[in-house]
Amino acid sequence: MRATDRQYTYYWILPAFVLYAVLFVAPLVIGLYSSLTNWTMGSRMPTRFIGLGNFEFIFSDSELLHAIGDTFVYTIVVVIFKNLFGLILALILSTRLSGQMRVNNVFRTIFFVPAVISTVVLGVVFTRILHPLGLLNEFLKSIGLGFMAQNWLVNPRIVMLSIAGVSVWQWTGYHMTIYLAGIQSIPQDYFEAAVIDGAGVFQRLRKVTIPLLAASININLILALIGGLRGFSEVYVLTNGGPGTASQVLTTEVLSKFAQGRWGLGTALNTVLLVLVALICIPLLRQLRKQEIEE
Amino acid sequence: MSPVLARRFAVRSVTILVLLLVATVFIIPLFYMVLGSFKNPLEASAFNMALPKQWHAANYSAVIREGSLGRAFINSCLITALSCGLTVFLCSIASFILARKGSRSAELLYYFFFLGSLAPMQVIPTIQILKVVNLYGTYASAILVYAALNLSFGCFLYTGYIKGVPRALDEAAMIEGASLFRIFFRILFPLLTPVNVTVSILIFLSTWNDINIPIYFLPTPAKWTMPLSVYGFFGRYSSDWNLVFADLTLTAIPVVVLYLAAQKYFVSGLTSGAVKQ
Repeated sequence: MRATDRQYTYYWILPAFVLYAVLFVAPLVIGLYSSLTNWTMGSRMPTRFIGLGNFEFIFSDSELLHAIGDTFVYTIVVVIFKNLFGLILALILSTRLSGQMRVNNVFRTIFFVPAVISTVVLGVVFTRILHPLGLLNEFLKSIGLGFMAQNWLVNPRIVMLSIAGVSVWQWTGYHMTIYLAGIQSIPQDYFEAAVIDGAGVFQRLRKVTIPLLAASININLILALIGGLRGFSEVYVLTNGGPGTASQVLTTEVLSKFAQGRWGLGTALNTVLLVLVALICIPLLRQLRKQEIEE
Repeated sequence: MSPVLARRFAVRSVTILVLLLVATVFIIPLFYMVLGSFKNPLEASAFNMALPKQWHAANYSAVIREGSLGRAFINSCLITALSCGLTVFLCSIASFILARKGSRSAELLYYFFFLGSLAPMQVIPTIQILKVVNLYGTYASAILVYAALNLSFGCFLYTGYIKGVPRALDEAAMIEGASLFRIFFRILFPLLTPVNVTVSILIFLSTWNDINIPIYFLPTPAKWTMPLSVYGFFGRYSSDWNLVFADLTLTAIPVVVLYLAAQKYFVSGLTSGAVKQ
């Protein structure tokens, strides 16, 4: 407590607090409660407390279990590839490609562009590219890889991977940019010292770059995880959960349950999502805090 | 050329070649979209990268007329600008106190705000609350909901930044008898430009590109933002791919132009949200 503390009045927090409490926290609390009810729009039955009934339903309904499974598959694929490609591109772009840094900047600008465009816009374009007769299959045929052509968005077995591919395409440049900022903040002396000690490219990577990038890796994992678990627009635009329910994820199921008026069930699904995000991300966030203190 | 230099030259050439291939993968979908927007309906529905025989710029005027894109553009500007301004204002004044007051309750409030960045929004209860206060379906509802959603990371960034500004500045002004109001708006706020830019860009991008909030909170198509009206347009005109592509291009142009013009701020904005400065 300092002498001047009294001067800073809590009134200045009040507007933000009220807005946040009324339009974010209150709905969250109401949502947690209504996920324990059979709240249905337009139903004659009065809303009743049914305990964990909605959750029992979610974890026994094959469609919803499939959606949870799809959410995991999608999340794992995007987390791995956004980070892998992002890190590789960042490592390449952190080296000097020509006399001037301009060449590096041009590439960085291009790779980042998809991240600023709406997922809806890109999604609609990709429905054409991934069409059975679309650009991707035509291209594969033209270079003699016709056997690799797929019904990308129609085949229920690969549709989730196709959607993940579009998301990786869109966000790789974003993750690359964060890695690049991390790499550039490593003091140059460390690399020079490693070179003098006779370390090769891969040894430098393993012993110097990667350990010093721990915080960037961590934040990139968190961002990709949240993006994957809460991913909505890409699925909604590319397939809207189809064919049938083959590419439904948690967020699109929430929308479809709400559209059916099954509000209790929809909020329960949202609660499942909340718990998943918290369980996966909070340990990573705590680790991140620890890393920042150590630095 | 000495062997070392020759080897370095070879490595660089291969690297640049690989990067060019990757860049092609990033550019082709966008190029395909822009090309398609100048084609006639038949050419546009074919799946190829051929140049249009005639460049039909009229597709754009058709889209602006029929797709009411002008209206959607104004909606997008209105909602994005106001929610951005509101968030910057609310977060900066709240974070000023959160960062400066050394009390335990200020710290608890900070964590209370921070939790919001993890939890997903509960849509239906939010709609119920907005109906009670008679705002559901209005521009104000979308603006307020966006602000409420963005408060969390906004306060996170502002509080972190203000903690790095010496408190001695405030205290010197206090001794001179300046009011809190004066201290904040005259002395502190001008120093917050970097974080103002960061927060504004992050909110601009996420709001401009979002369809989640308008889908739930703006049931009347006349209030739809650009990306959502693209989706409605796509549903209605999916046989006229030339028009769909023109519509998509028009939606992407404002963000891409802004990105190319203010690239430095975009990159530092998006990374400072993620990387400790």
